[in-house]
Amino acid sequence: MWKKTLFAFLLVLVCASVAWGQKTIVFAVDATWPPMEYVNQDKDIVGYSIDYMTAAGKLAGFEPVFKNTPWDGIFAGLQGGNYDAICSSVSITEKRKEAMDFSEPYYEVRQALIVPRDSDAETIQDLKGKKVGAQIGTTGYFAIKEVEGVEPESYDEIGLAMRDLKNGNLAGVVCDDPVAANYAKQKEGFQKNLQIVSILDTGQTEHYGIAVQKGNEDLLQLINEGISKVKEKGLEEKFKKKWIK
Amino acid sequence: MSHAEQRAQQSNPRDTEEETGQSKRIEVTDSAAIPDKSDKGLFTAWRVSCFGAIGLIILLCSVKPDPYLDILLFVPDGVLVTFEVTMLSIVLSLIVGLITGLGRLSGNAFINLTASTYVEVVRGIPLLVQLFYIYYAIGTFTQIPPFTAAIIALTVCYGAYMGEIFRAGIDSIDPGQTEAARSLGFSRWQTMYHVIIPQAMRTILPPVGNEFIALLKDTSLVSIIAVSDLLRRGREFATSTFDYFETFTLVALIYLLITLFLSKIVNIMENRVTPYE
Repeated sequence: MWKKTLFAFLLVLVCASVAWGQKTIVFAVDATWPPMEYVNQDKDIVGYSIDYMTAAGKLAGFEPVFKNTPWDGIFAGLQGGNYDAICSSVSITEKRKEAMDFSEPYYEVRQALIVPRDSDAETIQDLKGKKVGAQIGTTGYFAIKEVEGVEPESYDEIGLAMRDLKNGNLAGVVCDDPVAANYAKQKEGFQKNLQIVSILDTGQTEHYGIAVQKGNEDLLQLINEGISKVKEKGLEEKFKKKWIK
Repeated sequence: MSHAEQRAQQSNPRDTEEETGQSKRIEVTDSAAIPDKSDKGLFTAWRVSCFGAIGLIILLCSVKPDPYLDILLFVPDGVLVTFEVTMLSIVLSLIVGLITGLGRLSGNAFINLTASTYVEVVRGIPLLVQLFYIYYAIGTFTQIPPFTAAIIALTVCYGAYMGEIFRAGIDSIDPGQTEAARSLGFSRWQTMYHVIIPQAMRTILPPVGNEFIALLKDTSLVSIIAVSDLLRRGREFATSTFDYFETFTLVALIYLLITLFLSKIVNIMENRVTPYE
């Protein structure tokens, strides 16, 4: 009996959603990247990217579902088809473009170097022979690897790298500038100890994009439509004011 | 983890012994099967896996050097770190284990309670949580380098497991041995070191060998605290190239190979210590 009721209920739900013409898109998010995407005290995934995609969904007619996924398996999960897209502050790089397709860029970032307040280092060159941390598989980590003589250390989450910087095991941390600013200026317990000293010269600025499986044109079009509508409506400024201070 | 249950089973070998009336060997199947000459099937299984793994690595690297050979050249320092962590932790945990095991058998109520509480607490906390705790939580007050933190965590964790093995092993020696030694005028410490422990070693060695291999496999957990071991090197490679399948295939094969070699060494050691039976 219960099974039948449940089945009928689900059937109604499915039909209803079809009737509304809402397409559900499952986005993978590594929600450890404040203020772009993180888990708040109510255990909800929130942040700039989340607001952005939710708004894009409303304007382009899709319903975003956010699925919290660890960063270092996030691209493998996309390839394996565990979700439709990645909305997790993924910088568009040539290397990544070979493995997946990207939407229009929706945010511009640069790599920032954070050091303890009492450090004399002004650029990453000053940290030669010392350990500099970043999250595994991020453009920040790749940027450290590019610098001769600096010892790169990879962490599962940026928060763990920041914690280790605060504890004194690292000489610096490199990550996207909004995240760096969040830790160095806002985060309780971190902002007193840490400061941003420089922006790394990685040749060009980076742009966040939504990653989808290679060749998934329809989905990409829908997401792009959403992104351009958000831009047209001028919502970006509103989100920036809300999340990035 | 199923470790705990298996350890619980091994914790009182005398019961099972009395039931079966068989030898005093403690059977623990925690890790890769240790090859044994009397067990023909396993012996060939060891060979199949060992030569299979070597053959597969060579085959993959020669047929598809990009990315397999690149991966193989990327991870060796990780293998070295895995080895260093394993060796240091095993030596230290043997010392901690012996002290804990003796403490658990001590007649002194305070020592006994301390050792038992240590075992109880450590066995009740997952190793991953212990790693996080020692590195990130205690690191708030004092600075611990990641490598040291990894070794401390593994030593504390496996020291408790080893302690249980030592206790069970010493416990499995017939009380008549102690009585005989004591009546011949040995002191209690002399009895322990000259009579009981040498005999207990034979019982203790196989499970210690198993723990050794289990520890090696558990070192993959230290990659969470920024120790660049084999698994972390693999993950670094995979996240920059997106060759997840290729990387983890090779990482798994390397772990398998190391474990198989170690189980062989443990087996040889075992045969040395048990020349008669």
